[in-house]
Amino acid sequence: MTQQPLIQVKNLDLYFGAFHALKNVSVDFNAGELIGLVGDNGAGKTTLIRVLCGIHAPTKGEVFFDGRKVEKFHPKLAIDQGIETIQQSVGLCDNLSIARNFYLGREPVKRILGIPFLDFAKMREKSSRVIRQFGLRENVSADDEVERLSGGERQSVKIGRAVEFKNRVVIMDEPTNHLSVREREHVNELAVQLKEQGLLVIYITHDIFQVHKLADRVVIMENGEKVADASTDSMSAEALEDVIRQGGRVVEKQEAV
Amino acid sequence: MALSAAKPLIRRHTEIGIFLIGAILIVIFASTSDGRWANLYNIGTIMQVTATLGLMSLGVAIVIGTGEIDISVGSTFGMGALAHLWLAARVDPVFAALAAIVVGAAIGYVNGWLVTRTRTPSLIITLGTLMIFRGIAIALTDGFSFSIPYAARNGWTYFLLGGGDVFGFNTALFWLIAAFAVLLVVLKAMPFGNRLLAVGGSADSAHSRGVRVDRIKLSAFVICGILAAFAGALEAGKLGFADGSMGRLMELQAIASCVLGGCLLAGGRISLIGALMGAFVLSSIQSYLVVTGVQPQWFILILGLIVVGAAYGDKSLRNWAIRK
Repeated sequence: MTQQPLIQVKNLDLYFGAFHALKNVSVDFNAGELIGLVGDNGAGKTTLIRVLCGIHAPTKGEVFFDGRKVEKFHPKLAIDQGIETIQQSVGLCDNLSIARNFYLGREPVKRILGIPFLDFAKMREKSSRVIRQFGLRENVSADDEVERLSGGERQSVKIGRAVEFKNRVVIMDEPTNHLSVREREHVNELAVQLKEQGLLVIYITHDIFQVHKLADRVVIMENGEKVADASTDSMSAEALEDVIRQGGRVVEKQEAV
Repeated sequence: MALSAAKPLIRRHTEIGIFLIGAILIVIFASTSDGRWANLYNIGTIMQVTATLGLMSLGVAIVIGTGEIDISVGSTFGMGALAHLWLAARVDPVFAALAAIVVGAAIGYVNGWLVTRTRTPSLIITLGTLMIFRGIAIALTDGFSFSIPYAARNGWTYFLLGGGDVFGFNTALFWLIAAFAVLLVVLKAMPFGNRLLAVGGSADSAHSRGVRVDRIKLSAFVICGILAAFAGALEAGKLGFADGSMGRLMELQAIASCVLGGCLLAGGRISLIGALMGAFVLSSIQSYLVVTGVQPQWFILILGLIVVGAAYGDKSLRNWAIRK
């Protein structure tokens, strides 16, 4: 591809204390691409995307967004640039209502004498309309606390939020966990739709077979390293599964040959 | 059963417990004190104490909302009082009160800065600053008197800043009402309040949504410092003098007010009206013990027992409400 990658990760290293979580990782992510990021637990998938969405700053290495080097890592900067992340374990505050969670950090306001007041009507109306598409029950109101929601409904709030705001990158960390079969299909369709709209979609999962069907390219991680990076046309799901099973050794062997 | 109909209400409004406790205590106090407790003059006194303790409690509640705690407020109160008195004898009390607010904001900033920069639990940081600023207050008052001469205790600004009564209530009460109204709007109807409670609910989640967690916490400490120091200024305005021990142990009452009022120490769920009711209940208990002539040595003991009893009662009520 001749176009410049939307996100370019170069020789990234990240330590948590003495723990080497990411080891010299380099990946290109292009706009209009759906990329599956696959690996076992502790492979470094979530750590990598947490760098992309500004939660962790790398110890060494560089990240380029849209050709410009990222100097400061903070979720606010990432969100402002249009990188929206559906995190697995964080993202919702149980003590707040659905509407308040939906707009957390970018609340719509009505100004009275220049003082920003929350636009409650808009918050309620829009958040419930968007989230209903992703399986929020009719009897749950946007004013209800997130604490009351089921796992699937919590996920639907995060997904709705990623769709609602005009983004350039949507990162989904195990988005179909806790979802019913129909909701799962809906999320997967959505991932493809977002890609077709020209967004970069990074889809993290354990399930290589599921993501192989959706993705243009699959990146496999193991022990903090990238062990495979192949288009789904060039490698079958079975071959990729072998790579995961062998902990990346197959690829090394292939490269050596 | 009709009682179970109240369960969802109690679940949603954690402050109901303190209102029930308050109502029960009011009945007991009024009926056992021979009119010495429930009279206008005494209620006025209770309201003045509630006002200063309440301002402090509102600030502590805001900090608790972020999941932190500020126990240095007793010393901040003392420092605010000293700043106010030192200047009120020289310039207009308005500037003195502003100076007290600046002192409070500075102390709050120090607390917030230390907590967010060192990532040390706020309990230990503010325990340290509690002692530091108490030490400074005692040192400042050593051989130096902080008082306003009687001749200077006049003028409408002095009157408005704790030095006078309106409708039988010390002007501090009206400052409390104003602060409550402003904070309630900020907390419930502005983006800052949404982010503040989000930080207390889950700092990681708030951070992942782009909320500047440290900035929010720092602001909460500054607000808390301002309110405590301003309360000190109002108290100083009423008394006209202060010594280095002013506000001592008030921090514990303020925290008790918040917790009794339904503020969750883990953060994210606070009730400002509950914190005020907590301050009122504590002030009422003190006043009852004073007017019924309880010996001072029993005073703190009985206060403690009632606080423990009230906390237990409130907890039982909530447990009952959670059960199906």
